[in-house]
Amino acid sequence: MITAPTPPRPQSSTFGSRLRRIPSWQVTLGLALLVLGFLIAAQLQSDGPRAQYASDARGPLVTTAVGLQAQQDALKAQILDLRSQISNLETKGQGSVAAATDLGQRLQDARLAAGLIGLKGPGLVLQLSDSGQTVLPGDNPNDYLVSAGDVRTVVESLWLAGAEGVAVNGERITTGTAILDIGGTVLVNSAYLAPPYQVSAIGPPDLLDRLSASVVFKTFVSGRAQAFGIQVHYAELSEVDLPAYAGTITLRYARPDSSAQP
Amino acid sequence: MKRRRNQLSLAMVGFLLGALVVIQLRSQEAGNGLDTLTTTELTVLVGNLNTRNDQLRLEVATTQAELSALQASDSRGDTSVGQLQADLARVRAWTGLDPVTGPGVRITVTGGIDAGSVQDLINELRNAGAEAIAVDAVRVEPNSVVNGPVGGLLLGSVHLGDPFEVSAIGNPETLTGSLTRAGGIIAQLAATDPAAQLIVTPVDTLRLPATLQDLVPAHGQPRL
Repeated sequence: MITAPTPPRPQSSTFGSRLRRIPSWQVTLGLALLVLGFLIAAQLQSDGPRAQYASDARGPLVTTAVGLQAQQDALKAQILDLRSQISNLETKGQGSVAAATDLGQRLQDARLAAGLIGLKGPGLVLQLSDSGQTVLPGDNPNDYLVSAGDVRTVVESLWLAGAEGVAVNGERITTGTAILDIGGTVLVNSAYLAPPYQVSAIGPPDLLDRLSASVVFKTFVSGRAQAFGIQVHYAELSEVDLPAYAGTITLRYARPDSSAQP
Repeated sequence: MKRRRNQLSLAMVGFLLGALVVIQLRSQEAGNGLDTLTTTELTVLVGNLNTRNDQLRLEVATTQAELSALQASDSRGDTSVGQLQADLARVRAWTGLDPVTGPGVRITVTGGIDAGSVQDLINELRNAGAEAIAVDAVRVEPNSVVNGPVGGLLLGSVHLGDPFEVSAIGNPETLTGSLTRAGGIIAQLAATDPAAQLIVTPVDTLRLPATLQDLVPAHGQPRL
C-alpha cells in the first residue's frame, strides 16, 4: 500500500512538542545551571579590573590603614560635635547685645559659605563605577577604572554647571580639598574612598540640563564612559544631603590681611 | 530512585547557586579597595592618613580650647563678642572671604597650557598643604575652575594672559619640594604641555585677595 507522504509539520510545533516532552525537573535544572554559569562569570569579571594582591607584608599595612581611617572618622565626629557645641553657645550669647547678634549671623553665613555646615536642597547624585568591559589587548587596565581625574572632572563639571555645594562619598568639597589617586583608588580630603564614587551636588533646578550641555562633561562621557565603559549613572533628587566638612580650618601660614573686614 | 537522584541534583545546584550569590555579595560589600593596593601604595596611604590625623588632632585641640573659652565666658554671663570676632576672622580667612597674607610660592606660567593641567597644578598645591591660592588676582574657591582652550583660558569671567601667575600661601619649602620633585606635577606637565614653562619661586610674603563671589548657597538650606 502506498500512502501519501505526511506533510511536514511547522517547525515551531515540533519544537513546542519536544519542549513539552522534556521533564520539568530538567528545565529547572537547565535554568539553574544557566544562572550558575552567569554568576561564575560575574564573579570572575568582578575580580578582573582591580587586581588583588596578596602577600604577608601587606597584612599589617592594611590593618594599620583601616585603623587609621577609623581614627580619622572618630576625630571628624569629635570636631563636628565640638563645632556644634560652639555654635549653640554662640547663638545663646546673642540677643543681649546687637553686635553679637550681627556677628553671629555673619559667622553663620561664613560657615555656610565654607561648607562647615551641612546643606540640603535640590540637586543631583552621579555615580561613577568601574568599567564592566573586558580589557582589550594593548590597553592599560587602569583606563577601565574610575580615577581621581574622573572624579575631579565630574566635580569640576558640576561647579561649572552652577552647583553650590558638592560632596564625594560623604566628603564635602571645600577650598582645600585635593582629590588624589593612590594606586587604583581615590583619596578625598585625605579620606580613603572605595568605589563606586557618588558625587552629590546641590544647585539650581536646571543643574542636570546645564551639566549635560557642559563641554567638559561631554568630553568626559565620550572619552571615558563611551571609550572605556566607565559607568555613569545619575539621579535628579528634590533633596540632596551634603555633610559638613569635618577637617581642619586652622591656618598656620596665612593671616587675615589688615584690610580684612573686622 | 530516578526521582530521588533528580532531586539530589537540583539540591546540589541550588546549594552552589546560593553559595555563589553570598560570595558575590560579600565580595562587593567588603570591597574597601585596600586589597587592590600594592605595598608601596599602602605605605603612601598610611603616611597620608597619619599626616591627616595629626592635623585633625590639632583641630580638635584648637576647637576644644575655643569651646572652653566660650563656656567660661558664658558661665560668667559675659557676651562673647571677642570670641565671635576671632572665630569669624578665622573662618572668613580660611574660606577666602577675606584677603590673607603669608609666605608661600609663586608659579609663573608662560606659553600654552591646557586648562586641565592648571587644575592639576591647583590640586597638587592643595595636596601639598596650600592654605590659600590665587590665579592672578582671583582667589581660588572650591567652585573656581579654569576652563577654555589653550591660549584662551578663563577663570570665571577673567581671561588668563600669557604669562599668568598662580600664588599659594603655605610652607614655601614643602610647596616647592612637592611641585618640583622628580615625577612631580612640574615634571609631568613638562611632558604633557611641552609648550608651557613653569617657574616656581618661594616668596616670603604674598598677599592674596578676597573672593568676589557670594558663596552663601541660594538653593540649599542649612542642615541643622
